[in-house]
Amino acid sequence: MPRTTGLTSAAGALRYWERRQEVVAHNLANVSTDGFKGERVFARLLGDATPAAQTATDTRAGTLRQTQNPLDLAIAGDGYLVVQTPAGERFSRGGALALDAGRRLVDPAGHPVLGEQGAITVPEGAVLTVSPAGDLRMDGRPVARLRLERVPPGTPLAHEGGTLLVPDGARQSIPPAERQLRQGAVEESNVSPISALVEMIGVQRAYASVQKAVTTLDAVRGTAATDLGKPV
Amino acid sequence: MDPALRAAASGMMAQQLRSEVIANNLANVNTTGFKRSRAHFEDLLYQTVQGSAVIGSPENQVAPAIQIGRGTRLAGVQRIHGQGTLEQTGRPLDLAIEGEGFFQVQTGGGQTAYTRDGSFEISDQGILVTTQGYTLQPEIRIPNDATGIAIGRTGIVTVTRGNNAAEPQEVGRIELARFANPAGLQSMGENLLQPTAASGEPVLGFPQEEGMGRMVQGALEGSNVEIVQEMVDMITAMRAYEINSKAIKNSEQMLEIANNLVR
Repeated sequence: MPRTTGLTSAAGALRYWERRQEVVAHNLANVSTDGFKGERVFARLLGDATPAAQTATDTRAGTLRQTQNPLDLAIAGDGYLVVQTPAGERFSRGGALALDAGRRLVDPAGHPVLGEQGAITVPEGAVLTVSPAGDLRMDGRPVARLRLERVPPGTPLAHEGGTLLVPDGARQSIPPAERQLRQGAVEESNVSPISALVEMIGVQRAYASVQKAVTTLDAVRGTAATDLGKPV
Repeated sequence: MDPALRAAASGMMAQQLRSEVIANNLANVNTTGFKRSRAHFEDLLYQTVQGSAVIGSPENQVAPAIQIGRGTRLAGVQRIHGQGTLEQTGRPLDLAIEGEGFFQVQTGGGQTAYTRDGSFEISDQGILVTTQGYTLQPEIRIPNDATGIAIGRTGIVTVTRGNNAAEPQEVGRIELARFANPAGLQSMGENLLQPTAASGEPVLGFPQEEGMGRMVQGALEGSNVEIVQEMVDMITAMRAYEINSKAIKNSEQMLEIANNLVR
Protein backbone atom coordinates (compact mmCIF):
# COMPACT_ATOMS: atom_id res chain seq x y z
CA MET A 1 0.00 0.00 0.00
CA PRO A 2 1.28 3.43 -0.83
CA ARG A 3 1.46 5.68 2.16
CA THR A 4 -0.97 8.56 1.78
CA THR A 5 0.29 11.59 3.55
CA GLY A 6 -1.98 13.78 5.59
CA LEU A 7 -1.91 16.47 2.94
CA THR A 8 -3.08 14.14 0.17
CA SER A 9 -5.96 12.96 2.31
CA ALA A 10 -6.90 16.52 3.13
CA ALA A 11 -6.83 17.52 -0.54
CA GLY A 12 -9.11 14.56 -1.35
CA ALA A 13 -11.46 15.64 1.40
CA LEU A 14 -11.60 19.20 0.07
CA ARG A 15 -12.50 17.88 -3.40
CA TYR A 16 -15.16 15.67 -1.87
CA TRP A 17 -16.87 18.59 -0.09
CA GLU A 18 -16.68 20.71 -3.23
CA ARG A 19 -18.45 18.00 -5.23
CA ARG A 20 -21.03 17.78 -2.52
CA GLN A 21 -21.69 21.51 -2.67
CA GLU A 22 -22.05 21.30 -6.49
CA VAL A 23 -24.67 18.61 -6.12
CA VAL A 24 -26.59 20.52 -3.43
CA ALA A 25 -26.58 23.65 -5.63
CA HIS A 26 -27.92 21.61 -8.55
CA ASN A 27 -30.67 20.10 -6.38
CA LEU A 28 -31.65 23.54 -5.11
CA ALA A 29 -31.71 24.97 -8.65
CA ASN A 30 -34.30 22.30 -9.48
CA VAL A 31 -36.51 22.88 -6.47
CA SER A 32 -39.42 23.81 -8.77
CA THR A 33 -38.70 21.41 -11.64
CA ASP A 34 -41.70 19.10 -11.72
CA GLY A 35 -40.77 15.41 -11.70
CA PHE A 36 -37.16 16.10 -10.68
CA LYS A 37 -35.31 13.53 -8.58
CA GLY A 38 -32.52 14.88 -6.44
CA GLU A 39 -28.97 13.52 -6.27
CA ARG A 40 -27.39 12.42 -3.05
CA VAL A 41 -23.69 12.21 -2.34
CA PHE A 42 -21.92 9.55 -0.32
CA ALA A 43 -18.31 9.36 0.72
CA ARG A 44 -16.37 6.26 -0.12
CA LEU A 45 -12.96 5.53 1.28
CA LEU A 46 -10.25 4.86 -1.23
CA GLY A 47 -7.12 3.20 0.08
CA ASP A 48 -6.56 4.22 3.69
CA ALA A 49 -7.74 7.71 4.01
CA THR A 50 -8.83 9.39 0.78
CA PRO A 51 -12.58 10.00 0.60
CA ALA A 52 -14.13 10.01 -2.87
CA ALA A 53 -17.60 11.25 -3.80
CA GLN A 54 -20.21 8.83 -5.02
CA THR A 55 -23.65 9.93 -6.22
CA ALA A 56 -26.98 8.15 -6.32
CA THR A 57 -30.37 9.29 -7.48
CA ASP A 58 -32.87 9.83 -4.70
CA THR A 59 -35.95 8.13 -6.16
CA ARG A 60 -38.36 9.07 -3.39
CA ALA A 61 -41.65 10.46 -4.62
CA GLY A 62 -42.30 14.19 -4.59
CA THR A 63 -45.55 15.74 -3.40
CA LEU A 64 -48.43 15.55 -5.88
CA ARG A 65 -49.92 18.92 -6.80
CA GLN A 66 -53.47 19.12 -8.14
CA THR A 67 -53.71 21.12 -11.37
CA GLN A 68 -57.00 19.88 -12.90
CA ASN A 69 -55.31 20.02 -16.31
CA PRO A 70 -56.43 16.84 -18.14
CA LEU A 71 -53.00 16.24 -19.68
CA ASP A 72 -51.10 16.45 -16.41
CA LEU A 73 -50.18 12.96 -15.23
CA ALA A 74 -48.50 11.94 -12.01
CA ILE A 75 -47.61 8.55 -10.59
CA ALA A 76 -48.52 7.85 -6.99
CA GLY A 77 -46.19 5.13 -5.73
CA ASP A 78 -43.39 3.68 -7.77
CA GLY A 79 -42.98 3.24 -11.50
CA TYR A 80 -42.11 5.31 -14.52
CA LEU A 81 -43.71 6.21 -17.82
CA VAL A 82 -41.61 5.27 -20.85
CA VAL A 83 -40.76 7.94 -23.42
CA GLN A 84 -39.00 7.56 -26.75
CA THR A 85 -35.98 9.83 -27.17
CA PRO A 86 -33.51 9.87 -30.08
CA ALA A 87 -31.06 8.10 -27.72
CA GLY A 88 -33.52 5.29 -26.89
CA GLU A 89 -36.24 4.64 -24.34
CA ARG A 90 -36.10 6.68 -21.14
CA PHE A 91 -37.99 6.72 -17.86
CA SER A 92 -40.06 9.74 -16.87
CA ARG A 93 -42.22 10.42 -13.84
CA GLY A 94 -44.85 12.09 -16.01
CA GLY A 95 -45.73 15.72 -15.51
CA ALA A 96 -47.26 18.21 -17.90
CA LEU A 97 -47.84 16.16 -21.03
CA ALA A 98 -49.08 17.75 -24.25
CA LEU A 99 -50.30 16.87 -27.71
CA ASP A 100 -48.06 17.70 -30.65
CA ALA A 101 -49.22 18.82 -34.12
CA GLY A 102 -50.01 15.20 -35.04
CA ARG A 103 -52.03 14.75 -31.79
CA ARG A 104 -49.37 12.43 -30.39
CA LEU A 105 -49.06 12.37 -26.61
CA VAL A 106 -45.66 13.89 -25.79
CA ASP A 107 -43.71 14.92 -22.69
CA PRO A 108 -42.81 18.62 -22.13
CA ALA A 109 -39.66 18.20 -24.24
CA GLY A 110 -41.66 16.72 -27.15
CA HIS A 111 -40.66 13.06 -26.76
CA PRO A 112 -43.54 10.64 -27.50
CA VAL A 113 -44.93 8.87 -24.44
CA LEU A 114 -45.18 5.17 -25.18
CA GLY A 115 -48.21 2.97 -24.76
CA GLU A 116 -48.27 -0.78 -25.08
CA GLN A 117 -48.64 -0.38 -28.87
CA GLY A 118 -45.95 2.32 -29.21
CA ALA A 119 -46.54 6.08 -29.53
CA ILE A 120 -50.09 7.17 -28.70
CA THR A 121 -52.15 9.25 -31.12
CA VAL A 122 -55.16 10.76 -29.37
CA PRO A 123 -58.27 11.01 -31.57
CA GLU A 124 -60.37 14.18 -31.73
CA GLY A 125 -62.92 14.44 -28.99
CA ALA A 126 -64.05 16.35 -25.98
CA VAL A 127 -63.11 14.52 -22.79
CA LEU A 128 -59.84 12.62 -22.31
CA THR A 129 -59.66 10.47 -19.21
CA VAL A 130 -56.79 8.41 -17.82
CA SER A 131 -57.63 5.65 -15.37
CA PRO A 132 -55.33 4.79 -12.44
CA ALA A 133 -54.23 1.71 -14.40
CA GLY A 134 -53.10 3.89 -17.32
CA ASP A 135 -55.99 3.37 -19.75
CA LEU A 136 -56.57 6.39 -21.97
CA ARG A 137 -60.14 6.95 -23.05
CA MET A 138 -61.53 9.64 -25.34
CA ASP A 139 -65.24 10.25 -24.72
CA GLY A 140 -65.38 6.80 -23.11
CA ARG A 141 -63.79 4.96 -26.06
CA PRO A 142 -60.50 3.22 -25.22
CA VAL A 143 -57.46 4.71 -26.98
CA ALA A 144 -54.40 3.04 -25.52
CA ARG A 145 -52.83 1.77 -22.34
CA LEU A 146 -49.73 3.54 -21.07
CA ARG A 147 -46.58 1.58 -20.35
CA LEU A 148 -45.62 1.80 -16.72
CA GLU A 149 -42.40 0.11 -15.68
CA ARG A 150 -40.14 -0.21 -12.69
CA VAL A 151 -36.76 -1.57 -11.77
CA PRO A 152 -35.96 -3.72 -8.74
CA PRO A 153 -35.37 -1.64 -5.60
CA GLY A 154 -31.80 -0.45 -5.28
CA THR A 155 -31.03 -0.48 -8.99
CA PRO A 156 -29.02 2.62 -9.84
CA LEU A 157 -30.68 4.88 -12.41
CA ALA A 158 -28.49 7.39 -14.23
CA HIS A 159 -29.79 10.91 -14.69
CA GLU A 160 -30.21 12.52 -18.05
CA GLY A 161 -31.21 16.16 -18.52
CA GLY A 162 -34.88 16.97 -18.93
CA THR A 163 -35.93 15.01 -15.81
CA LEU A 164 -35.34 11.73 -17.65
CA LEU A 165 -33.68 8.67 -16.19
CA VAL A 166 -31.85 5.98 -18.11
CA PRO A 167 -33.57 2.64 -17.45
CA ASP A 168 -31.66 -0.41 -16.39
CA GLY A 169 -31.80 -3.75 -18.20
CA ALA A 170 -33.74 -5.44 -15.37
CA ARG A 171 -36.88 -3.35 -15.89
CA GLN A 172 -40.28 -4.92 -15.68
CA SER A 173 -43.83 -3.88 -16.46
CA ILE A 174 -46.10 -3.10 -13.52
CA PRO A 175 -49.32 -5.15 -13.47
CA PRO A 176 -52.40 -2.92 -14.04
CA ALA A 177 -53.80 -3.73 -10.59
CA GLU A 178 -50.77 -2.16 -8.89
CA ARG A 179 -50.70 1.02 -10.95
CA GLN A 180 -51.68 4.33 -9.43
CA LEU A 181 -51.71 7.02 -12.09
CA ARG A 182 -53.30 10.33 -11.20
CA GLN A 183 -54.77 12.52 -13.88
CA GLY A 184 -54.84 16.29 -13.30
CA ALA A 185 -51.84 16.31 -10.98
CA VAL A 186 -48.10 16.77 -11.29
CA GLU A 187 -45.35 15.47 -9.07
CA GLU A 188 -43.26 18.24 -7.61
CA SER A 189 -39.50 18.09 -7.27
CA ASN A 190 -38.48 15.78 -4.40
CA VAL A 191 -35.81 18.18 -3.19
CA SER A 192 -36.51 19.43 0.32
CA PRO A 193 -35.20 23.01 0.47
CA ILE A 194 -34.81 22.89 4.24
CA SER A 195 -32.69 19.72 4.35
CA ALA A 196 -30.65 21.05 1.42
CA LEU A 197 -29.96 24.27 3.33
CA VAL A 198 -28.96 22.33 6.43
CA GLU A 199 -26.70 20.12 4.31
CA MET A 200 -25.15 23.19 2.75
CA ILE A 201 -24.24 24.65 6.14
CA GLY A 202 -22.69 21.33 7.12
CA VAL A 203 -20.70 21.25 3.88
CA GLN A 204 -19.30 24.70 4.46
CA ARG A 205 -18.28 23.95 8.07
CA ALA A 206 -16.63 20.67 7.10
CA TYR A 207 -14.78 22.40 4.29
CA ALA A 208 -13.49 25.01 6.74
CA SER A 209 -12.34 22.29 9.17
CA VAL A 210 -10.40 20.47 6.47
CA GLN A 211 -8.82 23.76 5.47
CA LYS A 212 -7.68 24.18 9.08
CA ALA A 213 -6.19 20.69 8.98
CA VAL A 214 -4.23 21.62 5.86
CA THR A 215 -2.85 24.79 7.41
CA THR A 216 -1.93 22.90 10.60
CA LEU A 217 -0.17 20.14 8.66
CA ASP A 218 1.66 22.79 6.74
CA ALA A 219 2.71 24.50 9.97
CA VAL A 220 4.04 21.19 11.30
CA ARG A 221 6.17 20.74 8.20
CA GLY A 222 7.30 24.30 8.43
CA THR A 223 8.46 23.67 11.99
CA ALA A 224 10.18 20.46 10.96
CA ALA A 225 12.01 22.19 8.11
CA THR A 226 13.11 25.30 9.93
CA ASP A 227 13.47 24.45 13.64
CA LEU A 228 14.88 20.91 13.36
CA GLY A 229 17.45 22.05 10.85
CA LYS A 230 18.87 24.76 13.14
CA PRO A 231 22.32 24.04 14.58
CA VAL A 232 22.20 23.75 18.30
CA MET B 1 -16.77 25.37 -7.16
CA ASP B 2 -17.61 27.29 -10.29
CA PRO B 3 -20.25 24.71 -11.37
CA ALA B 4 -22.04 25.16 -8.05
CA LEU B 5 -22.20 28.92 -8.63
CA ARG B 6 -23.55 28.43 -12.13
CA ALA B 7 -26.14 25.86 -11.07
CA ALA B 8 -27.42 28.17 -8.34
CA ALA B 9 -27.47 31.13 -10.75
CA SER B 10 -29.52 29.08 -13.24
CA GLY B 11 -31.94 28.36 -10.40
CA MET B 12 -32.29 32.07 -9.65
CA MET B 13 -32.91 32.88 -13.31
CA ALA B 14 -35.55 30.15 -13.52
CA GLN B 15 -37.40 31.55 -10.52
CA GLN B 16 -37.25 35.02 -12.01
CA LEU B 17 -38.82 33.79 -15.26
CA ARG B 18 -41.46 31.97 -13.24
CA SER B 19 -42.29 35.20 -11.41
CA GLU B 20 -42.61 37.02 -14.74
CA VAL B 21 -45.14 34.47 -15.98
CA ILE B 22 -47.08 34.74 -12.69
CA ALA B 23 -47.04 38.54 -12.86
CA ASN B 24 -48.47 38.43 -16.38
CA ASN B 25 -51.23 36.06 -15.24
CA LEU B 26 -52.10 38.34 -12.33
CA ALA B 27 -52.09 41.42 -14.55
CA ASN B 28 -54.66 39.72 -16.78
CA VAL B 29 -57.01 38.58 -14.05
CA ASN B 30 -59.76 40.77 -15.56
CA THR B 31 -58.93 40.27 -19.24
CA THR B 32 -61.80 38.73 -21.19
CA GLY B 33 -60.97 35.32 -22.60
CA PHE B 34 -57.43 35.31 -21.14
CA LYS B 35 -55.79 31.93 -20.57
CA ARG B 36 -53.22 31.58 -17.83
CA SER B 37 -49.71 30.28 -18.53
CA ARG B 38 -47.29 28.37 -16.41
CA ALA B 39 -43.57 27.93 -16.68
CA HIS B 40 -41.97 24.48 -16.92
CA PHE B 41 -38.42 23.68 -15.99
CA GLU B 42 -36.10 20.81 -16.69
CA ASP B 43 -32.73 19.86 -15.28
CA LEU B 44 -29.67 20.51 -17.42
CA LEU B 45 -27.35 17.89 -18.86
CA TYR B 46 -25.33 15.93 -16.37
CA GLN B 47 -21.59 15.80 -16.37
CA THR B 48 -20.11 12.46 -15.57
CA VAL B 49 -16.98 12.92 -13.52
CA GLN B 50 -14.57 10.03 -13.45
CA GLY B 51 -13.89 8.89 -9.93
CA SER B 52 -10.44 9.22 -8.45
CA ALA B 53 -8.14 6.23 -8.08
CA VAL B 54 -5.42 5.21 -5.69
CA ILE B 55 -2.43 5.01 -7.97
CA GLY B 56 -0.21 2.01 -7.55
CA SER B 57 -2.45 0.22 -5.08
CA PRO B 58 -2.51 -3.55 -5.63
CA GLU B 59 -6.32 -3.66 -5.75
CA ASN B 60 -6.42 -0.78 -8.24
CA GLN B 61 -9.08 0.91 -6.23
CA VAL B 62 -11.11 3.30 -8.35
CA ALA B 63 -14.16 5.22 -7.20
CA PRO B 64 -17.19 4.87 -9.47
CA ALA B 65 -17.92 7.72 -11.84
CA ILE B 66 -20.28 10.29 -10.41
CA GLN B 67 -22.91 12.45 -12.05
CA ILE B 68 -23.08 16.14 -11.33
CA GLY B 69 -25.93 18.21 -12.70
CA ARG B 70 -25.50 21.68 -14.03
CA GLY B 71 -28.68 23.39 -12.86
CA THR B 72 -32.02 24.05 -14.45
CA ARG B 73 -33.49 25.80 -17.45
CA LEU B 74 -36.85 26.90 -18.76
CA ALA B 75 -38.36 24.07 -20.80
CA GLY B 76 -41.34 26.08 -21.95
CA VAL B 77 -44.27 28.24 -21.02
CA GLN B 78 -47.52 26.39 -21.48
CA ARG B 79 -50.89 28.08 -21.87
CA ILE B 80 -53.64 26.33 -19.92
CA HIS B 81 -56.83 26.31 -21.96
CA GLY B 82 -59.23 25.68 -19.12
CA GLN B 83 -62.68 27.23 -19.35
CA GLY B 84 -62.99 30.64 -17.72
CA THR B 85 -66.12 31.52 -15.78
CA LEU B 86 -68.96 33.04 -17.77
CA GLU B 87 -69.93 36.51 -16.65
CA GLN B 88 -73.43 37.67 -17.49
CA THR B 89 -73.36 41.11 -19.09
CA GLY B 90 -76.81 41.23 -20.66
CA ARG B 91 -75.35 43.01 -23.70
CA PRO B 92 -76.72 41.33 -26.86
CA LEU B 93 -73.40 41.51 -28.73
CA ASP B 94 -71.37 39.85 -25.96
CA LEU B 95 -70.69 36.22 -26.82
CA ALA B 96 -69.02 33.51 -24.80
CA ILE B 97 -67.95 30.06 -25.98
CA GLU B 98 -68.71 27.33 -23.51
CA GLY B 99 -66.43 24.47 -24.53
CA GLU B 100 -63.89 24.23 -27.31
CA GLY B 101 -63.39 26.65 -30.17
CA PHE B 102 -62.16 30.12 -31.08
CA PHE B 103 -63.72 33.03 -32.94
CA GLN B 104 -61.96 33.81 -36.22
CA VAL B 105 -61.14 37.45 -36.86
CA GLN B 106 -59.32 39.20 -39.66
CA THR B 107 -56.51 41.44 -38.42
CA GLY B 108 -55.27 44.60 -40.11
CA GLY B 109 -52.75 42.70 -42.22
CA GLY B 110 -55.46 40.51 -43.76
CA GLN B 111 -54.31 37.60 -41.62
CA THR B 112 -56.73 35.39 -39.71
CA ALA B 113 -56.29 35.35 -35.94
CA TYR B 114 -58.19 33.45 -33.25
CA THR B 115 -59.68 34.67 -30.01
CA ARG B 116 -61.94 33.65 -27.12
CA ASP B 117 -62.87 37.29 -26.48
CA GLY B 118 -66.45 37.66 -27.73
CA SER B 119 -67.20 41.32 -26.97
CA PHE B 120 -68.33 42.37 -30.44
CA GLU B 121 -69.58 45.66 -31.80
CA ILE B 122 -71.22 46.81 -35.01
CA SER B 123 -68.95 48.83 -37.31
CA ASP B 124 -70.05 51.87 -39.29
CA GLN B 125 -70.67 49.52 -42.23
CA GLY B 126 -72.95 47.35 -40.15
CA ILE B 127 -70.45 44.46 -39.82
CA LEU B 128 -69.70 42.59 -36.57
CA VAL B 129 -66.20 43.58 -35.35
CA THR B 130 -64.12 43.04 -32.19
CA THR B 131 -63.46 45.92 -29.78
CA GLN B 132 -60.19 46.54 -31.67
CA GLY B 133 -62.15 46.84 -34.93
CA TYR B 134 -61.11 43.52 -36.48
CA THR B 135 -63.79 41.84 -38.60
CA LEU B 136 -65.38 38.61 -37.40
CA GLN B 137 -65.01 35.86 -40.02
CA PRO B 138 -67.20 34.91 -41.86
CA GLU B 139 -68.58 38.45 -42.11
CA ILE B 140 -71.97 39.04 -40.51
CA ARG B 141 -73.83 42.13 -41.68
CA ILE B 142 -76.53 43.58 -39.46
CA PRO B 143 -79.15 45.61 -41.41
CA ASN B 144 -79.53 49.29 -40.47
CA ASP B 145 -83.14 48.93 -39.45
CA ALA B 146 -82.53 45.97 -37.12
CA THR B 147 -84.22 46.46 -33.76
CA GLY B 148 -83.15 43.24 -32.07
CA ILE B 149 -80.34 40.71 -32.47
CA ALA B 150 -80.57 37.14 -31.24
CA ILE B 151 -77.70 34.66 -31.40
CA GLY B 152 -78.60 31.06 -30.73
CA ARG B 153 -76.54 28.33 -29.08
CA THR B 154 -75.61 26.98 -32.48
CA GLY B 155 -74.34 30.38 -33.63
CA ILE B 156 -77.22 31.35 -35.91
CA VAL B 157 -77.63 35.14 -35.91
CA THR B 158 -81.17 36.42 -36.42
CA VAL B 159 -82.45 40.00 -36.43
CA THR B 160 -85.89 41.51 -36.14
CA ARG B 161 -86.51 44.47 -38.42
CA GLY B 162 -88.76 47.42 -37.71
CA ASN B 163 -91.87 46.47 -35.84
CA ASN B 164 -91.97 42.99 -37.33
CA ALA B 165 -90.96 41.18 -34.12
CA ALA B 166 -92.87 38.06 -35.04
CA GLU B 167 -90.69 37.22 -38.07
CA PRO B 168 -86.99 37.09 -37.23
CA GLN B 169 -84.69 37.02 -40.22
CA GLU B 170 -81.45 34.98 -40.37
CA VAL B 171 -78.42 37.08 -41.34
CA GLY B 172 -75.57 34.60 -40.87
CA ARG B 173 -74.00 31.97 -38.68
CA ILE B 174 -70.93 32.26 -36.50
CA GLU B 175 -68.26 29.71 -37.34
CA LEU B 176 -65.65 28.56 -34.84
CA ALA B 177 -62.16 27.15 -35.31
CA ARG B 178 -60.55 24.42 -33.27
CA PHE B 179 -56.97 23.23 -32.97
CA ALA B 180 -55.50 19.83 -32.27
CA ASN B 181 -53.18 21.38 -29.70
CA PRO B 182 -54.46 24.81 -28.58
CA ALA B 183 -51.53 25.12 -26.16
CA GLY B 184 -49.30 25.48 -29.25
CA LEU B 185 -51.01 28.69 -30.41
CA GLN B 186 -48.89 31.82 -30.23
CA SER B 187 -50.10 34.96 -28.44
CA MET B 188 -50.15 38.11 -30.57
CA GLY B 189 -51.41 40.45 -27.84
CA GLU B 190 -54.84 42.12 -28.00
CA ASN B 191 -56.36 38.78 -26.89
CA LEU B 192 -55.47 37.30 -30.27
CA LEU B 193 -53.74 34.01 -31.01
CA GLN B 194 -52.13 32.78 -34.20
CA PRO B 195 -51.55 29.20 -35.35
CA THR B 196 -48.08 27.65 -35.39
CA ALA B 197 -46.68 24.30 -36.52
CA ALA B 198 -47.23 23.01 -32.99
CA SER B 199 -50.91 23.98 -32.83
CA GLY B 200 -51.79 22.38 -36.17
CA GLU B 201 -54.15 23.67 -38.83
CA PRO B 202 -57.53 25.11 -37.77
CA VAL B 203 -60.53 22.82 -38.05
CA LEU B 204 -63.67 24.83 -38.79
CA GLY B 205 -67.17 24.03 -37.61
CA PHE B 206 -70.38 25.50 -36.27
CA PRO B 207 -71.08 25.78 -32.55
CA GLN B 208 -72.45 22.62 -30.92
CA GLU B 209 -71.35 20.52 -33.89
CA GLU B 210 -68.34 18.17 -34.11
CA GLY B 211 -67.09 18.83 -30.60
CA MET B 212 -67.32 22.64 -30.75
CA GLY B 213 -68.59 24.49 -27.71
CA ARG B 214 -71.90 26.27 -27.53
CA MET B 215 -72.52 29.97 -27.98
CA VAL B 216 -73.88 31.95 -25.04
CA GLN B 217 -75.33 35.36 -25.84
CA GLY B 218 -75.18 38.16 -23.27
CA ALA B 219 -72.17 36.74 -21.45
CA LEU B 220 -68.38 37.01 -21.64
CA GLU B 221 -65.80 34.42 -20.72
CA GLY B 222 -63.66 35.76 -17.88
CA SER B 223 -59.97 35.09 -17.40
CA ASN B 224 -59.17 31.59 -16.08
CA VAL B 225 -56.54 32.98 -13.69
CA GLU B 226 -57.13 32.05 -10.06
CA ILE B 227 -55.65 34.69 -7.80
CA VAL B 228 -55.05 32.43 -4.80
CA GLN B 229 -53.20 29.86 -6.91
CA GLU B 230 -50.99 32.56 -8.46
CA MET B 231 -50.26 34.06 -5.04
CA VAL B 232 -49.15 30.70 -3.67
CA ASP B 233 -46.95 30.18 -6.74
CA MET B 234 -45.48 33.64 -6.28
CA ILE B 235 -44.54 32.91 -2.66
CA THR B 236 -42.85 29.63 -3.58
CA ALA B 237 -41.00 31.30 -6.48
CA MET B 238 -39.78 34.03 -4.13
CA ARG B 239 -38.56 31.54 -1.51
CA ALA B 240 -36.87 29.35 -4.10
CA TYR B 241 -35.11 32.43 -5.45
CA GLU B 242 -33.90 33.27 -1.98
CA ILE B 243 -32.67 29.76 -1.27
CA ASN B 244 -30.68 29.68 -4.52
CA SER B 245 -29.02 32.94 -3.54
CA LYS B 246 -28.02 31.22 -0.29
CA ALA B 247 -26.38 28.45 -2.34
CA ILE B 248 -24.37 31.09 -4.20
CA LYS B 249 -23.31 32.69 -0.94
CA ASN B 250 -22.30 29.33 0.51
CA SER B 251 -20.22 28.44 -2.55
CA GLU B 252 -18.60 31.85 -2.44
CA GLN B 253 -17.64 31.37 1.21
CA MET B 254 -16.11 28.00 0.38
CA LEU B 255 -14.05 29.68 -2.33
CA GLU B 256 -12.87 32.17 0.26
CA ILE B 257 -11.84 29.34 2.58
CA ALA B 258 -9.93 27.73 -0.28
CA ASN B 259 -8.15 31.02 -0.92
CA ASN B 260 -7.03 31.04 2.70
CA LEU B 261 -5.14 27.77 2.16
CA VAL B 262 -2.20 29.75 0.87
CA ARG B 263 -0.99 32.26 3.41
